[in-house]
Amino acid sequence: MSDPGAAQFTPQDQEGVAAFLAGTTLFLGPDPEIMNDHRMAPRTADEDRLLSGPIDANALDRVRKRIVAGLDEAFEMMEQTGAAPGAKWGDLTSAVYSASGDLIHISTGGVLAFASVLHYPVRFISKYWANDPSVGIHDGDAFIHNDARYGNIHNTDQSMILPVFYDGELIAWVATIIHEGENGAKEPGGMPSSSESAYDDGIRMSPFKIVERGQIRRDLLTFLQNSVREPKLQYQDLKVKLYSAQRIKERLVALLDEVGRDAFVASLRKSLEDIEAEARRRIAELPDGTFRVNFFSDSTLRENVLLKYPCAVTVKGDELTVDWRGAAPQFLNRAFNATLGTAKCGLGQAVLGFFWPDLPRGISVMNPMEVLTDEGSCINPGLEAPLGQSLQGAFKTFGVVQALFAKMQYSCPEKYGSLIAPWFNQINTFLFGGLTQHGEFVGNVCADLNGMGGGARAHRDGENSMAPFFAAMADLGEQEIIEDDVPFLQLISKKIKRDAQGFGKHRGGMGYEIAVAARGTPLWGFATVSSGSKFPAVPGLFGGYGCPSYPLAKIKGVNVFQQMQGAPRNWSFDFETLMNAQPFTGARYTTHHMGMGFELADEGEVYMICQGSGGGYGDVLERDPEAVMADVEAGYLSPETARDVYFVVSDPATLAVDLAATEAARAEERQARLGRGRPYGDFVNEWVTPEPPQHLPYYGSWGDDNSIIHATAWTTQGPVRVSGPMNQLPQIMLPDPNLLALAAQQARIAELEARLQKLDGQ
Amino acid sequence: MKRISVDIGGTFTDCFVAWDGRYIQSKALTTHHNLAQGFNEALDHACTTLDLRRDSVLHEVDSVRYATTLGTNALIERRGPQVGVIVTAGFEATIPLSRGRGYGEGLDELAKNDMSSGTRPDPLVPQTLIRPVDERIDYSGEVLLELSRDGVRRALRELVDAGAEALVVCLTNAVQNPGHELAVQEIFLAEYPAHQLGAIPMLLSHQLSGRKGEYVRAMSAIVDAFLHATMYHALSELEQNLRDHGYSRPMLVIHNSGGMAQLNSTDALQTIHSGPVAGISASEHLATQASLGNVVATDMGGTSFDIGLVPADGVKHYDFMPVIDRWLVSVPMIHLVTLGAGGGSIASYNRLHQSVSVGPRSAGSDPGPACYDRGGLLPTVTDADLLLGYLTPERYAGGQIKLNPQRSEFAIDEEFGDYLDLEPVEVARLIKAEVDEQMANGMAKELRIRGYLPAEFTMLAYGGNGPLHCCGIARHLGIDRVLAPPYSSVFSALGAGNMPQLHIHERSVPLVFFDASTKAIFTDFTRFNGIVAELEDKGRADLRRQGLPETAVRHRLELDMRYGNQLVTMAVVAQKPRLDGIGDVVGLMQLFANDYGRRFGQGSQSPEAGIRATTIRVASYVQGDTVEFDTAPPDGSATAAAPVGSRLCHFAGVAGAVDTPVFDESALEPGRSVPGPAIVTTPTTTYLVEPGWRIETGAHGAIWFLANPREQEDRQ
Repeated sequence: MSDPGAAQFTPQDQEGVAAFLAGTTLFLGPDPEIMNDHRMAPRTADEDRLLSGPIDANALDRVRKRIVAGLDEAFEMMEQTGAAPGAKWGDLTSAVYSASGDLIHISTGGVLAFASVLHYPVRFISKYWANDPSVGIHDGDAFIHNDARYGNIHNTDQSMILPVFYDGELIAWVATIIHEGENGAKEPGGMPSSSESAYDDGIRMSPFKIVERGQIRRDLLTFLQNSVREPKLQYQDLKVKLYSAQRIKERLVALLDEVGRDAFVASLRKSLEDIEAEARRRIAELPDGTFRVNFFSDSTLRENVLLKYPCAVTVKGDELTVDWRGAAPQFLNRAFNATLGTAKCGLGQAVLGFFWPDLPRGISVMNPMEVLTDEGSCINPGLEAPLGQSLQGAFKTFGVVQALFAKMQYSCPEKYGSLIAPWFNQINTFLFGGLTQHGEFVGNVCADLNGMGGGARAHRDGENSMAPFFAAMADLGEQEIIEDDVPFLQLISKKIKRDAQGFGKHRGGMGYEIAVAARGTPLWGFATVSSGSKFPAVPGLFGGYGCPSYPLAKIKGVNVFQQMQGAPRNWSFDFETLMNAQPFTGARYTTHHMGMGFELADEGEVYMICQGSGGGYGDVLERDPEAVMADVEAGYLSPETARDVYFVVSDPATLAVDLAATEAARAEERQARLGRGRPYGDFVNEWVTPEPPQHLPYYGSWGDDNSIIHATAWTTQGPVRVSGPMNQLPQIMLPDPNLLALAAQQARIAELEARLQKLDGQ
Repeated sequence: MKRISVDIGGTFTDCFVAWDGRYIQSKALTTHHNLAQGFNEALDHACTTLDLRRDSVLHEVDSVRYATTLGTNALIERRGPQVGVIVTAGFEATIPLSRGRGYGEGLDELAKNDMSSGTRPDPLVPQTLIRPVDERIDYSGEVLLELSRDGVRRALRELVDAGAEALVVCLTNAVQNPGHELAVQEIFLAEYPAHQLGAIPMLLSHQLSGRKGEYVRAMSAIVDAFLHATMYHALSELEQNLRDHGYSRPMLVIHNSGGMAQLNSTDALQTIHSGPVAGISASEHLATQASLGNVVATDMGGTSFDIGLVPADGVKHYDFMPVIDRWLVSVPMIHLVTLGAGGGSIASYNRLHQSVSVGPRSAGSDPGPACYDRGGLLPTVTDADLLLGYLTPERYAGGQIKLNPQRSEFAIDEEFGDYLDLEPVEVARLIKAEVDEQMANGMAKELRIRGYLPAEFTMLAYGGNGPLHCCGIARHLGIDRVLAPPYSSVFSALGAGNMPQLHIHERSVPLVFFDASTKAIFTDFTRFNGIVAELEDKGRADLRRQGLPETAVRHRLELDMRYGNQLVTMAVVAQKPRLDGIGDVVGLMQLFANDYGRRFGQGSQSPEAGIRATTIRVASYVQGDTVEFDTAPPDGSATAAAPVGSRLCHFAGVAGAVDTPVFDESALEPGRSVPGPAIVTTPTTTYLVEPGWRIETGAHGAIWFLANPREQEDRQ
């Protein structure tokens, strides 16, 4: 029987309806068809024609090198001329995309992840603006963009995207990206940890045309400058990105003139296909099977919670499936959610930054990889979720994959990087904002985010504060130069934090202490945006310890600069001593988790944090006792920790190792371990519970079943544990911790008043 | 003019003697145990040509000048004293952490990007030899925390007890206020007089570098302290040798800043890379004398390819924070880029792209290319050059190394045979093309990033492999003339002979030339001129101390300028030595804008963000006599040279083998021309004239490679 309703539609009707619907689109939000696809586009007929016949691989390879040389030139140009701290200290990238929007090449230096999310906006521009009569794509145009929902790590990174035309044909795209910092968000610096809605994240630029046929649109530029706290920076770096991208474009056009259109297009496509083929070959070398790990984060950046980030990587033949299902749900008023594209950057960085660092960095390395997530999770949230600290999600997706890869490749004869424990993966640094000593309003981030400790390797210790895991050759900068521009001092700038290491046979690379205090400014404040103050941010590997947890410490109600003048001996260049000795009378000494929303600081008030350590590798009892004591001698380790963790016995006066006594102590500890050990079944029976402890604000799956998500939702009655499939959970919104604190105080006052009344009554 | 200039390299000591219009070049092996021996031998060779005795020559010359790689080698070999360092408390790990990125400085891009394997080099100063002292000075020079004198005494005692043989003091913001560094020195001298400790040197960072940047300034002082003894003893030995043989004037040492000074006015750090810098200086001199216009100087040796820029607009390109070995330092050094490409660069199959790769690994000289027959099994650029027919097996390196082409074929076949369906000679052709293009890309990037067009440059090609690859490189760049310069085999020594006595003094002084917020233009001329006068006084005093007349001293004023809060600055050479009015400031801003626009694109300037000068630099110098050349470009009147034979060669873009005429050194006599394709073989160098090119020769051994007009047309 035919459907009577269907018969009412003629082809003409359908056409009309389609036209009507197309013409009544409310707004062009992020397109799921684009945003869910991390793979390269299929070959076009033209690419197929060019690559089907005999090709000169050497000639095409030379084209590739020329393109990369052009990108490196632009990268250097941006580094030299950029004004944002991110540009100065390595947080930038330049890239070339195919006409289809596939990332083909990025500059040799810089942040891979910046470029590896930009194919989304490139595809958006192609799909929606090319044929829109109000926009269009022309030679000389340039598009600006920062909204992570359209493809970006976070909204503090701004990109400039230029089409490259050759003989009237759109033949490629080029892009330049800088971590600009300030973006008008709720807090200065562009990464608001206290963001409570997507609208607190600062200006959100969906890809739009800022340069029309070679002319910067002054009206739009003015709008952008009005939308941020640093109009000067917005202007200056917009030009930096634009002219650098134009430089790449010039190089590409010159190259096209030289090698011809076909060789250029063939080279782009072949580069991608070569990378995919090699990635598949390398995956096929891995043992088939499923590898699992669970990571946790201890913070929404506003309160202490436990968020689960599970990962199961399945290797089958030349394909990988990365399963992140079971992760914590999105929070609609917390900033740590990361878009799926951002989360996948964590995977890309682990693969290209650590697993196969020798591979050229094209999008097609992800082609053999399937990624599974729950829609509505914190790593695949909806459009209304705030993303101000989306790094949190990407850092965890990086960490879980890195932790597994070491295990996956352990038995492979050919390795392309070193076997390594997880790299520290939090930006333990200060964001800042306010009026400088030069009278300028600024908001940005300290270069110390580049000081993450490296994971321990199978063959040696990790490197202390070497680089952020996402950017090789990033720079910690020079404090003297930084102090020229901003009104705060690092009173402790770089001092390795004693005992704070991922212990192991090889220890993780350690981090350093930082103590800052504002001076010479009428208005200044700081923020911190990290998790890992209660639960270690990264685990160890093969028996190595994870990193320690790191607090934020404050000394408020004192001007240390006055103290330095009047009572210099009170000051100490040491985090521990200041907090333990509490030398300033009347000052308040407090410790906190590392998600401090922007907070105004009076002159001379001290804020202290530590950069983090990478994970340790192997059993502490196998660490060379001499290496332990070398750390003691350098001040990196206390004699007590050497004794209690590494079981090294030494002469307290000379630090000489007593090898026999050390061996005896270690043998004793091995025996003690056997005594503490339990059969696995007993351990499971003793420890495993059917669901998370009720008192714990826990989010994510529990145990092996990733289909049921547990969460602590807030109702009018307070916190309530809910469980179920992700799509059946209520939306998670937490109360403002300050309001909770206020409510607690009010309750306490009410209680005291009641007691007082009672006493009065007596 | 009678003058001796010397470049002491790792292998050879090159000598150039100017003797009243006669120019003699000579070489001897470097004698590392006593540099004077190598020098004497090289000088003796020159004296033989002059038919004079060494003592007579040394007695009569106006100066003896040295460029040397001695310091570089000492650094690589880690030969130096234990250095102890005093830093501001809270900055104890600044040096070990090396700005994070220190793990990759001086390494190739692949090593930089492999963070999982990234490892910092063994430190020059371990953490255990770094001591903090309580003190703090802010960015403006204000003392926030007084120096703890007891803390200084304690730190000194601990460092001395720990065996420090040299001391460095680097306190935060000392360039703004050196008071605390000077106080540390004062305490040190009082507590440890020379009769107690002998001569433990103490270096204060602000005296090594006037720039802000606590890490790079500390490293500059550390490298200097580390090299001081080695350099001082070796150079003193050389000076004594000169004294012993009748030379009574001060010995002069070439600096990497592009000048030179007496030994007692030379920091060890200033001698690093002085040899290659002298080569760039020679290029500049040659460019001026022969009106060559823009020049890009290249030195292709066995393992590396050095690039230096000498643009006709007179812009000085410095590296303010160069990498020396594996360390970032702060010293204004003439810009020099080194690529890892040379005759010894290893070729390999690129599995990913099914193509030929060259470098960055090098076979060096031991075992060297496969064709050396010394155990090397990997194919190199030299193996490719041999199979392509360019090298004469029995005459390579003056006949000292007999090349074995079978080894080259075998090595290429082993590496590529399983993957490429090509004869070894075809693979060799790809290797040659690849390395030429790699070097061309490196040069192009260097030129373009500074706003220059490669095609507007004359390429100078020196170093052992330069004349062999220059046509191939130039073709990729669109350059149509290449000059293998006069005396190319001792070119750096020649450069040393022409350098002025020069001292550079600079100060970090943040000056707001244009305040974007208030739209005010800088007017504090008194302060500005006072700083310039102070820096000029320092330079004048340096030169006067060396016996030079004050009236001969000249100064060049340079400002490092930037827009807004940019990190990197550009050097602007001021047209006037003082600011007399607001017009002068506007003029400087315009000069800056012009150069900025040329480099980064017209319109890229952003004066709306403010304009600042961050450093004032004064180069004080006395220009002496220079070597005169007759190096005018060829006028087409050259006569054809006669070949001595022919052999089959293979060239890029030409199918099959080409019967190629071979010439000997007589073809390089002045006024000759050799049309390509051709090969000219001399005892030290092979000149490859590729099809479409010709050689024309000038005086003093100047050899021009010129692209034929048709070749140029084809390119257009």
